[in-house]
Amino acid sequence: MIKRVEINYRGIFQKNLGKKIGSDIVIIASRMGRIGFSNRRYSDSPERNGIPCKYFAFVSHDLSEEELEAECGAKLDIDLADISVVLDDTMTKGVEPWGWHGLRPINEKVQEGGTLLVATRKNHEELLQFIGKKPYEWSLATYEGDPSFGGLWVFRDDLTHERTLGAVAGVDPDIIGIEAVEAYLREKHPKELFRAEAARKAYEEVRTTSRTVKLGEGIEWTHEVPVLPKWFEFSEGAAVPAVKRHFEMGPKGQARNETFKRGTTKTQRPVVRFDICTKCTLCWLECPDECFDPTTDGLYDIAFEYCTGCGKCAQICPVKECIVMVDELQFEDNSSPWEAYTQDRENYVEWAERKKSKGRYIHPFVTGTGLEFVEGEVVPIGGKRATPKS
Amino acid sequence: MIAEETTKKIYEREDLLTGCQAVAQAVRLADVDVIAAYPIRPYTEVMDALSKIIADGELDAEYIIADSEHSQFEIVKHASSVNARAFAGSSGTGWCYGFEALVVTATDRLPVLFLVGNRALDDPGAFGVEHNDAMAVRDMGWLLCWVTTPQEALEHVLIGYRIAEDKRVRMPMALAMDGAFLTHSQHMVKIPTTEAVRRFLPRFDLGDGRLHPDNPISIAPQVNEDWVMELRRQNWDAARRARGVIKQAYEEFNGVFGERYSSPFFTEFMTDDADTVLIGLGTVCAPGRTAVRRLREKGEKVGFVSLRWFRPFPTIELREALSRFKAVGVIDRDFAHGSPDDGGILLHEVRSCLYPLKNRPAVTNIITGLGGRDVSIDDCIRMFRIAQKSKTDDKLDDFVTWIGVRE
Repeated sequence: MIKRVEINYRGIFQKNLGKKIGSDIVIIASRMGRIGFSNRRYSDSPERNGIPCKYFAFVSHDLSEEELEAECGAKLDIDLADISVVLDDTMTKGVEPWGWHGLRPINEKVQEGGTLLVATRKNHEELLQFIGKKPYEWSLATYEGDPSFGGLWVFRDDLTHERTLGAVAGVDPDIIGIEAVEAYLREKHPKELFRAEAARKAYEEVRTTSRTVKLGEGIEWTHEVPVLPKWFEFSEGAAVPAVKRHFEMGPKGQARNETFKRGTTKTQRPVVRFDICTKCTLCWLECPDECFDPTTDGLYDIAFEYCTGCGKCAQICPVKECIVMVDELQFEDNSSPWEAYTQDRENYVEWAERKKSKGRYIHPFVTGTGLEFVEGEVVPIGGKRATPKS
Repeated sequence: MIAEETTKKIYEREDLLTGCQAVAQAVRLADVDVIAAYPIRPYTEVMDALSKIIADGELDAEYIIADSEHSQFEIVKHASSVNARAFAGSSGTGWCYGFEALVVTATDRLPVLFLVGNRALDDPGAFGVEHNDAMAVRDMGWLLCWVTTPQEALEHVLIGYRIAEDKRVRMPMALAMDGAFLTHSQHMVKIPTTEAVRRFLPRFDLGDGRLHPDNPISIAPQVNEDWVMELRRQNWDAARRARGVIKQAYEEFNGVFGERYSSPFFTEFMTDDADTVLIGLGTVCAPGRTAVRRLREKGEKVGFVSLRWFRPFPTIELREALSRFKAVGVIDRDFAHGSPDDGGILLHEVRSCLYPLKNRPAVTNIITGLGGRDVSIDDCIRMFRIAQKSKTDDKLDDFVTWIGVRE
């Protein structure tokens, strides 16, 4: 018997978090007398901002380490997963790994009866409007949380690490048991018992949120997996056809290389209030991915397939409330905002404000029941604030 | 009538040139566009000669002095990618210092021509010839050949560009020559006319592979496991195709310049009825052939094979040629410490090439001339004695002999 867990995370922001969770699943399983090991999808580039990446943890009750290694090791990706953990719910829109294989559904590897386990504040229906259908029944479980930066020491520890361990135990005790998770966390952090408590809370939470996704639920996945050329089918010397520099006024007026879209790396996107824009050109100049297209009326349209959600435009924009970054899951498609604005200005402004009010992106994140507010600051339950109030 | 005579004229003049100077003349004749220089003995003289040729207005080329070999090799690699015919060179540890650039020049399939003035790898610091420096690129997708006279050196710059730039090949070319014994040795050289060179060497055209705003491509991408194996397969194929292109290039060269080369890959000397031969790279052929003449006077059936092309290795041709002999002595001016036979690099290549034969000649190995030590005619006669003895020796466990070492 082999249990396979994949942890989907975003490059840089969650690379330590993803690894720690994979490691701790193996350590806890080992303490329970099980055999396990962890590795990463080596073709990933976790050193690049926002790139979807994976860590794996494999656990068995009966195989030897060598047999488990032979079944699961030395592979670039797994075929099937018992649990696919998603540490950033915007990845439910589909992921395009750095080793380019096209836009893949987030539940691609979830096997029959397996579970997609998402840290999110959204409900199942909101998530299922982005997730692909499967030809069999599978489960969707959620535990409250925002895309965590907790693995980066410069950001506040929001307990997503511990909560994910608890959630995994809640989904499948054959991987790790909640008592073992609690014992491990208590032993590791004897003075921070809230860590084990946070794991228990997430454990209980997923046991209520987990539900079977029936056949036909989810969306039709239209993106095709690209067929890679054979060795004699592409140009010699690793030359890749590029796009000639070309420019036209209007929506999507800049020539861009369709092979190199990075749009799926974004967790947030700019919402523009064209009605208050002063046409200063700064967003167009500063965008590192050349997403802004000048239009004939002096406004700038956005090609969201290429937008990585870096937020530079929102930072550089001198007009208050003109460009605001909003949670990516508030948007169904990559259609042109400028076209929507020119068609119905009033309706567009109303739409933009609605999106901003619902999904405005603000740091720090508040991650579910593992945290509490203390005088406007967010701290772990039972934890201490970083700086005492003077 | 006069015009017709001019076009038929093959050589413009004869001059006394070192190996390096002969290469410089060939670079002029090939109308090279970009040259990058960084000094290291013994190849440096080619850059001295080229700077004078450019200063004299005989060649219109960018001449860039780099801050190191690494930059030097990168400069010509990039120049080549925008369709400039490019030239550089180095020796010994300098060549190795630029190794990262040497690898990518091959994997990017950019047909730059390099002169490698063979020099011992430091330490200890030494200026003399050893072939290990050039051999370092032997598995990287480089064309690699050794010449033995300044005339051959000049001609192989032209032949080298012709093969390297061929669309079926597109590999960088390392033209190796023995430090001091050829780089600094002056001989009379016939210098071809530019008209004759133009008849043989077409303009460099990278076609779709040219980096230019009118031909937007991205080269040298990061690819990972989805692409690397396919790219290696392309390079493997190009190296295999190169053998055919080399044959064709020599035929065309002979067509323009007369029957200069009887065989593209190696030159046989007095081998028709020979039972024992020596095979070696570079200038060792001079004492080797002289030893053959002396032994022939005594009625001994010996011969010499000068190997010119090392990459691609002329496997089929050499196997066929060497199968005629009872004993082959392989001369290595290089070392391969701890290798399967504890012999030199060439030994392993030759033995591997002979393996499919049912009746293989006895193979012995001589390591000699390291660090620029001279190899005498008497040394070569000793080598023949060792090879001759191997015909009847049953025990061949210990068949590597060092000749010329103090012991």
